[in-house]
Order: sequence, then C-alpha cells, then structure tokens
Amino acid sequence: MRRYERPVFSLIYRIVRDRALAEDLAQETFIKVLNGIGSYRPEFKFSSWIFKIANNVAIDQLRRRSLDTLSLDGSPMAETADRMGATALQIGTPGESPLDEVQARELGAAIEQAIARLRPEYRSCIMLRHVEGFSYEEIAETLELPLGTVKTYIHRARNELREYLAHVRQ
Amino acid sequence: MTNHLTTEELELWAEGLLPATRTMHLTECTLCRAEADRERTLFLSLSQLTRFAPTAGFADRVMKQVRIPTRSGEFQS
Repeated sequence: MRRYERPVFSLIYRIVRDRALAEDLAQETFIKVLNGIGSYRPEFKFSSWIFKIANNVAIDQLRRRSLDTLSLDGSPMAETADRMGATALQIGTPGESPLDEVQARELGAAIEQAIARLRPEYRSCIMLRHVEGFSYEEIAETLELPLGTVKTYIHRARNELREYLAHVRQ
Repeated sequence: MTNHLTTEELELWAEGLLPATRTMHLTECTLCRAEADRERTLFLSLSQLTRFAPTAGFADRVMKQVRIPTRSGEFQS
C-alpha cells in the first residue's frame, strides 16, 4: 500500500484540487482495493486496477459536486481565505540552487495551473502517461476508454498545455 | 531541406518514437530544433511533477476500515 500511497493520492488531488477531500477519496480507494482484492484479475496490471478505482472515485466525486472548473489557488468549495490557502496545491522543488529553485517553482506552478485548466479526463490521461509512465494501452485499460480516445485526449491535452504555457516558454 | 516536423512528430520525437529519417530534419532546421527543445522541456517538467503525500497516519486510518477475511470465511476489522 505504501508504494501506491503517493501516486494514488497525487492523481486524486490533481483531479479534485482539495487536499482534505483528496485524502478522503484516497482512503476510500484503498479501502475498496483492499476489501475487493478478491475481484482483482491478475491478467491486468495491479497498478492499472488501483488507478482505475482511484480515477473512478475522483471522477464520481466531481460529477456529484460539479468541481470540474478548479483553481490552483484552492478548492472552489473553500468558503474562507484560510480554507483557500489550506486547499491550495503545495509545489516544492528541494535540492536545487536558489535561482534554479525559483525558476523551477515558477515553471512548476505554471504547469500545475495549466493542468488544473484541463478537463478532468485529460488530466487523468496526462498524469498516467507522464507521471506514472503508463503506455497508451495501459491508460486505455485503466480508464476504460478506447485506445484512439486516449491518444486523442493526450494529444489535445498537450496542445492545451502548450497554449497555456506559451507565456512561460518564450 | 525536408518538411518541418508536425506537432504529432514533435511529440513522437520527445517520446523517442520518431523514425530516424524524420529525426534527421532536426539537424538541419533550427526552427524545428527549438520547437523540439520546448517539447522536451514540457515532457521533462510533466515527468517531474510533485508526488504529493497524504498526511501522516494515512495507512493506519485505511487499515482500520479494511475487513480482513478469516479462515472461517467471515470478516474481521
């Protein structure tokens, strides 16, 4: 479980953009995984199965709460400034020189903001492809989407990211 | 000079999947080379995104709610 704790939490956090909610949903994911371990089919990758459950839990939550237009500044459900700050994504880049760190933080923040502007299904595809290193086929299996749809989503997501990041890429 | 690389070809290049015949274009075109470098930066930045951690005690909180099957086929928390 430790192995998947951060990847699963990160995927959910980037989808729902609320730390407390993401933690509840990650908890729900692992409880479903562990209680339903008997239904796991070994012909599929175990990580695909876990991420499928995590993605479904997060997307279901978005559908229930209509959270698909979200802000890096914090959860749209936050009602106070403190709550906004508490729910904002924390971006850190330890181990770099001060200048590198500032630049990396700026780029990291810009990328997080750009990802936050993507449709949730694009966000999941981009995270699984670039952060988890899944193949297109594995993403299709995980998200239960046709392979062609996954390729289209990733291509469109990258196009949107290029557009959103144009100002920092000059 | 051969045709400029398309967006799709730049993505393939960044993923290491562009055929060598098209990759050769990058050696002769500074415009495409600059685009390719930007593409690689985007891919690199995405792969280095922070993996956020849940709060301490997360695993313990999960395990408290997991039902563990016993030998008799029943479940215990």
